[in-house]
Amino acid sequence: MTLLLIVLLPLVGSLVPIASARSGRTTCAWLTAILPAIALGIAAWYTPAVFGGQLPQVSLDWVPALGLDIAFRLDGLSLLFVYLVLGIGLLIILYARYYLSEKDSMSRFYAYLMLFMTAMLGIVTADNLLLMWFFWELTSLSSFLLIGYWSHLSEARKGARMALTVTGAGGLCLLAGILLMGHVVGSYSLTTVLEHRELIQQSSLYQPILLLFLLGAFTKSAQFPFQFWLPHAMAAPTPVSAYLHSATMVKAGVFLLARMYPVLSGTDEWFYIVTLTGLATLLYGAFFALIKQDLKGVLAFSTISHLGLITLLFGFNSKLAAVAGVFHIINHATFKASLFMAAGIVDHECGTRDIRKLNGLWRYMPYTTVLAAVASASMAGVPLLNGFLSKEMFLAQSLEAQMLGGLSWMIPALATLGSVLSVAYSLRFIHDVFFNGEPRDLPKTPHEPPRYMRLPIEILILLCIMVGILPGIMVEPILRAATAAVVPGQAPEIHLALWHGFNLPLMMSAIALSAGVLVYLLRNHIYRFHRQFRAVNARQSFEFSVQRVVRSAQWGLDRFENGSLQRYMFLLLLSAVIVAAFGLMDVPSMAGLKSLQPLDPVVVTGAGILCLAGLGTVMLHRRRLLSLLFLSVVGMFVSLTFARFSAPDLALTQLAVEVVTIILLMLALFFLPQKTPKESSGRRVSRDILLSMIFGGVIASLNYAVLTRPLQSISTYFIENSVPGGGGHNIVNVILVDFRGFDTLGEITVLGIAGIAIYKLLNRLRLFMPSSDMEGRPWSPDRYPVILSSVSQTLLPLALLVSVFIFLRGHNLPGGGFIAGLVAAVVIILVYMSRGVEWTQRRMSFNYQPIAVTGVAIAALTGLGSWVFNKPFLTSSFGHFDIPLIGDIELATAMMFDLGVYLTVVGSTLMILANLGKVTTPHRPSKEKQ
Amino acid sequence: MDLRFALEVAVSALMIAGGIFAVIGAMGMVRFRDFYMRLHGPTKSTTLGVGCVLLASMSFFWLKNGHPSLQDMLITLFLFITTPVSAHLLTMSGLHHKLPSAPETKGQPYELDDEDDIARN
Amino acid sequence: MLTNAIAISALLFMLAIALNFYRLIIGPSIPDRLAALDTMYVNAIGAIILFGMWLNTTLYFEAALLIAMLGFISTVAVCKYLLRGDIIE
Repeated sequence: MTLLLIVLLPLVGSLVPIASARSGRTTCAWLTAILPAIALGIAAWYTPAVFGGQLPQVSLDWVPALGLDIAFRLDGLSLLFVYLVLGIGLLIILYARYYLSEKDSMSRFYAYLMLFMTAMLGIVTADNLLLMWFFWELTSLSSFLLIGYWSHLSEARKGARMALTVTGAGGLCLLAGILLMGHVVGSYSLTTVLEHRELIQQSSLYQPILLLFLLGAFTKSAQFPFQFWLPHAMAAPTPVSAYLHSATMVKAGVFLLARMYPVLSGTDEWFYIVTLTGLATLLYGAFFALIKQDLKGVLAFSTISHLGLITLLFGFNSKLAAVAGVFHIINHATFKASLFMAAGIVDHECGTRDIRKLNGLWRYMPYTTVLAAVASASMAGVPLLNGFLSKEMFLAQSLEAQMLGGLSWMIPALATLGSVLSVAYSLRFIHDVFFNGEPRDLPKTPHEPPRYMRLPIEILILLCIMVGILPGIMVEPILRAATAAVVPGQAPEIHLALWHGFNLPLMMSAIALSAGVLVYLLRNHIYRFHRQFRAVNARQSFEFSVQRVVRSAQWGLDRFENGSLQRYMFLLLLSAVIVAAFGLMDVPSMAGLKSLQPLDPVVVTGAGILCLAGLGTVMLHRRRLLSLLFLSVVGMFVSLTFARFSAPDLALTQLAVEVVTIILLMLALFFLPQKTPKESSGRRVSRDILLSMIFGGVIASLNYAVLTRPLQSISTYFIENSVPGGGGHNIVNVILVDFRGFDTLGEITVLGIAGIAIYKLLNRLRLFMPSSDMEGRPWSPDRYPVILSSVSQTLLPLALLVSVFIFLRGHNLPGGGFIAGLVAAVVIILVYMSRGVEWTQRRMSFNYQPIAVTGVAIAALTGLGSWVFNKPFLTSSFGHFDIPLIGDIELATAMMFDLGVYLTVVGSTLMILANLGKVTTPHRPSKEKQ
Repeated sequence: MDLRFALEVAVSALMIAGGIFAVIGAMGMVRFRDFYMRLHGPTKSTTLGVGCVLLASMSFFWLKNGHPSLQDMLITLFLFITTPVSAHLLTMSGLHHKLPSAPETKGQPYELDDEDDIARN
Repeated sequence: MLTNAIAISALLFMLAIALNFYRLIIGPSIPDRLAALDTMYVNAIGAIILFGMWLNTTLYFEAALLIAMLGFISTVAVCKYLLRGDIIE
């Protein structure tokens, strides 16, 4: 369980800076650093066990049905990355304390950073592929926040969006790949997946799986042709760049390659795709790093280049190459983080990152110059530094790759070319910035940064040197542990040493160093050569393609969704007709085997009236009030039909809803024109009539066909389980409050939200009130007819009694919270109608919002209550209680839930209706007439 | 003739009478010539008809269960409270709309405009 | 005998409802139609109670009760609309 803390502590840590925002910048930084430091301590505590070959694991069920567990593991590879993420993360926290200016919100920065750290740790320690994907997307999201941290800059926003789009899209590919892999293996557990190399590679899905995983990895690691997002992510504050582009974000992609290496590598497809992509990226990045004039741009492209190198190493399908890849991950993280921090210091102290302006800084900041020079030398692969070791291994491995046949010599040649360029741009980084004359019109006079801003770089440089000189002591144990996780089977003999004797790789290194210096000296020729190409701005073309996608999506949407309800209705009905018609055509005869029920004149009359009233509603729809009266007839007959065919609950609900609808429409009709003009053309009307006739015919046949056949419905289950399972005889109510209680909870929540939204929308809205009706008649002066007001007052207690009665018996007989709530609301509305808002509110001085909210809360708490008894959410329980005087009664928790429904319905309905009524309150038409 | 049979006869008679009253009310509603006359149908005859049925139902379930049902009485109560009020409001709106009255209709509807003036002064 | 009486009475009530509906269709004025609708509600109460007796159950009384109460309220709402325009003032 301690393992969980490695991920959990930084997650909790993302709240620490928010909580300590007011306690000063330094305190905030220290407090933020505590939890990751503890997590690092935990990782260190596990280290001996991991080195000893153990595999600490922890697993908790999350969504077992989906195969999603909260499962973590800490193998060598994870441990290595945990060290990188936490170690460099802590240095970044220290660095950012001095980098961020007073205006930048420190707590926000640290919160994002900790969230990102959590996500990274999640990726590297997850033992479940879906969980890993979850954290993978979390890195995309949190890096979006970090890159767009300076959200007032358009550049930062666009760069963040680009990074999110590319890595997010790659994440979706990865998800698809994970799902396919889970399908092949039958489990999402990483431990299981890693054991099924043969199964995956022999599966016909191997190629899609490989492709999707590689898409995920390549987008994240900015591999060609997805490299374009990375330079634009440089709009982020430098601590972010230093963290994201050295140890974390982009390393997630190569981590995925390493993680999946045991199961995906070793095939020709793997070799060709990964090697060629890596090679292309290596050269592309190296060339542009030489050309860029922006300090961070140089580092960005060099990062791309080095990621290409690591990818290339993983592509070689050789165990030693994979070891070299892992080794280079460590080395790149250390020297690149320090280079970014150095660039940040230069930017911070000089106010610009333009290499053309920055010159001869060594006079102003000698310490920083030394630190940057060492880091650069490491990047260039100068002996005695860690970069040299991994580059040497890389060159040695490039000689081993034979898959290209007769062209195999090209790989070492191009690898050497990459190294040449790498030496050249490293040299440029140092010489152009810190030497080479005097600075030109800098916005600030540079000087050494604060002591503690340099400390992180010093630590990293120290590591670079120590690893470079004493690799066997410094990195061999962790490299061995990490390799054991990456390379399946017999681990290769790792022998890290400074001196391997005079051999071909050393020659290549020497060539690279000398040629690199030469290339740097001749750089002006390269610039001149490059200048003849038109500059391609990746951001513009990206924005352009995004706009194009948006436009075409909009075009496609406009075909269907043009805002015309008539069109939606038409398309909907048309498709329904087509689907239903094809289904019906397959049925041999419309009538089934069941015999028909006898017709009686009462039903015939009712059906006739129902049809006529429906027709009337449609035909008179331009005269709204009239149409509404016909609609009431329809409503009444529908509820009579429910009653006739034994559905009293539905009948009650229909009646209650009916009257609420009428009141609502009367309120709305007051503000609407009484008549609507004729708008549709004759052709359109005939088309619609035709469609509705066909639709009616199809639906009627469908109904007939269904009703005349024996039906195996789910109602038997409810009938059988209503009393034993829900403790109620009214099945409808038991379904609502028990079997489908979760649905009901959702519905009342929506109802409550809708009520509050309407309340908010109507708040302070005052509408003009006409002083006469549509035919020019002034309103009747009798505001509150006396008879009505006195009778409604008499009716109120009686009706509330009825409402309570309907509510109480709801569980066993027709009724329930919903109907009872509507009845209560409607009766209170009657008082509003007969007495007016002022009179009523003087006597009922409470608000309706709390009632609705309380209702939802009661329902939710009732559901939560079952957790106390260790039962799933919304488990109901019931029992018989013997209460003196009243006798034996049955009480179910569902009753409490129903009470919640009742209160929500009362609160929301009143909130809506009473507030709609209030819209015109202050203006009296009869007064305005004067 | 036992008591039960007599009661059944009475209940049946009430039911049929109720139906007849309802039809008479509806006939009145259809046949009368102006709005004010037509209101007589529902207010008097229909209420009476439904009242009869309610009475029948009360006796019916009394006969069956041995005690009168509360809801029946409640419905009757509601009905007898609400019908006059809705009729009153309907008449008011009829007057407000100045619906034409047939010559046979006795009494003139009071002038709403005068009322309006009174309210104004 | 009771069964027959219920059947006859129900028929009569449906006839009454049909006649009311006829008045609702022909109008001519809105109060006329509203009166017809209100009467339909009242007659519906009778029909439902008869149906309850037919099935020998009291389950339908609530429906009748609600019609008596809610039908009245919708009539009041429409009347108030005709008289004052604003039904809640």
